[in-house]
Amino acid sequence: MKDLVRLGFLGVAHFHADSYARVAKKLSNVEIAGVYDRSPGLASQFAENFGLRRYGGPEELLKDVDAVVIASENVLHHEYVLKAAEMGKHILCEKPMAVSLKQADEIVKTVEKTGIKFQMCYVMRYHTVSTLVKELLADGRIGKLLAMNGTNKLNRALPLSRQWFTDRNMSGGGAVMDHTVHLSDLMRWYADSEIVEVYTVIGRNVNSDIDVEDNFLTIVRMENDVIGSIDGSWTYASGHYTWGDVTMELVGSDGVLVMDAFRQNIYYTGSDKLSWHYYGCDPDTLMVEDFIRCIREDTRPKAGVYDGRQGVAVTIAAYESSRLGRPVKPS
Amino acid sequence: MKRIGVAILGYGFMGTTHLAAWKMMDDCRVLGLWGRDKSRLNDVASKYGVRPYESFSQIIDDKDVDVVDICTPTYTHRKLAVEAMEAGKHVIVEKPMALNLEEADDMISTSRRTGVKLMVAHVLRFFPEYMKAKDLIDQGSLGELAVIRAWRGGPAPEWSPWFMDLGKSGGVTVDLAIHDVDFAIWINGCMPSEVYAKVANLVHKSHDIHDYALIALKFPTGCIALLEANWALPKSYPFTMKLEVDGTKGMIHLDNQSPTPLRLWTESGVEGFSPETLPWKPGVHPFPLDPFYREIRHFVECIKEDRMPITDGVEARKSLEICLAAMRSAAENHPIRIGG
Repeated sequence: MKDLVRLGFLGVAHFHADSYARVAKKLSNVEIAGVYDRSPGLASQFAENFGLRRYGGPEELLKDVDAVVIASENVLHHEYVLKAAEMGKHILCEKPMAVSLKQADEIVKTVEKTGIKFQMCYVMRYHTVSTLVKELLADGRIGKLLAMNGTNKLNRALPLSRQWFTDRNMSGGGAVMDHTVHLSDLMRWYADSEIVEVYTVIGRNVNSDIDVEDNFLTIVRMENDVIGSIDGSWTYASGHYTWGDVTMELVGSDGVLVMDAFRQNIYYTGSDKLSWHYYGCDPDTLMVEDFIRCIREDTRPKAGVYDGRQGVAVTIAAYESSRLGRPVKPS
Repeated sequence: MKRIGVAILGYGFMGTTHLAAWKMMDDCRVLGLWGRDKSRLNDVASKYGVRPYESFSQIIDDKDVDVVDICTPTYTHRKLAVEAMEAGKHVIVEKPMALNLEEADDMISTSRRTGVKLMVAHVLRFFPEYMKAKDLIDQGSLGELAVIRAWRGGPAPEWSPWFMDLGKSGGVTVDLAIHDVDFAIWINGCMPSEVYAKVANLVHKSHDIHDYALIALKFPTGCIALLEANWALPKSYPFTMKLEVDGTKGMIHLDNQSPTPLRLWTESGVEGFSPETLPWKPGVHPFPLDPFYREIRHFVECIKEDRMPITDGVEARKSLEICLAAMRSAAENHPIRIGG
């Protein structure tokens, strides 16, 4: 078993990178080599925040590590994943895995060929509450699963905190690209079946200043005829007391499960407005720890490259459905 | 490094909860369990796969025992804790540490004289929501504290008869309200200067017990607090904790019933789950979130790093003193001044 995993950060444009670095610094079996980002300003800030070395380029970083976290702008995932995989480095990849199906399929092929560990940041597979849902379903607590109704909302102020989220050329799209995959992945996991039909509508933006969609509603059907819905809109008011949510109602033949995964908060009110301060389980820690465990103990990640590919397929189908105005089968 | 050897006294709810937490720790090993009732002891010991000790003195004589974890009824704490410490064992003892200040002082001075660690298991300080509340207060989000309201209640613990005997448990004030008294002292960083209380037996007339307490505290900082502790609730009532703290810059509120992150509804009713109450499963949940685990982990780290536990005897004596003052206030029906 490998004692110490040397980890690098290849692209930190996604603000989740900060959380993963916070976690990695706490782990005794991880050594953080440093960071590369195409934006020197962002790289410097990240390096300074976490006391890390800056690398001049992706190859320089990759040569010096066992594994990387890829949390760049979405459109760069493909290039970085291929580089890292070809050099035999393990990868923890921010979602969505890629912005097109072609890219996704190339990633699958390369990862399978090189045999590296590839874990998707499908963080809800590591969250204690959503994990418990899986166990309760397996225990038959609601009988046969029939329908799933989910939300993964985001506060509208958050996508504005990093400019690239609303720049189609860097993100590949808006709310659909950003917030389809967590719920589509949970649905695949819970139903143990693939999504075979996607219908998506996109409404008028709540924020007319951005040129990507900030809302959508999706209805899916799975191969085993479980139906579901996804609301991943970036439409929580900026004055809302929290960042967003992950909720799901699961209807079964013998009962209903109601999950509100980030519900555990202290309510704080200052002079301006109510805010929530989360004290529940820390899924980022559980996820990064599992990635390190996969490398050290040669185990399989809970969300791998194929799960990443299927998320991209549903996302692309959602855009196509909205454009065509009819249900679409993900390819 | 040698694993820390642990002997647990008491096989009730708290004893088995602590046992489960100890068993998760790779650097510790549970050597055995002891309690008064032989047949119950043997049942629990075999259920958890640990050795039943024949007697308390067998634990005292066992060189491999580094820690004695005391989860027996409150009235037995002093004798067991003092004897264990005299034998050089570190002691973690369930709250309340004792029934009166004379017992508490004996425990504190024994720990000082023998140089072993003494921790009182005030687990509220390890609940994630109370830890978060403390963080927000320490960060200054609330400014200066002004008003605290705390509420804690559930059905009376009639499953263990000693709880329902005022002379053995101290009743709802010493056994239950002590949690919020301790928390109020912790967040204020000082003792209250005055205590006034109403304490009653509302619905358990066949027992010599208090099942309801209302306690008002005044702190020298100007902060005031009202704490309610309630054992006069129906058996179906879920154990509930609420807290509101108002400060000059803001306020916080928590309620352990409302933020249930997962609920299961079936024909037979509703069942709530939260990560802190889940059984720990290695591989599924990489580390336990259970407050009892965190509490005992803190004690283990204090032993390893030779630090004082955050609820050592001196700290735990404070909330006991206030709870006893509250009972005296209720009996005499006037406020009790503290430290003056």
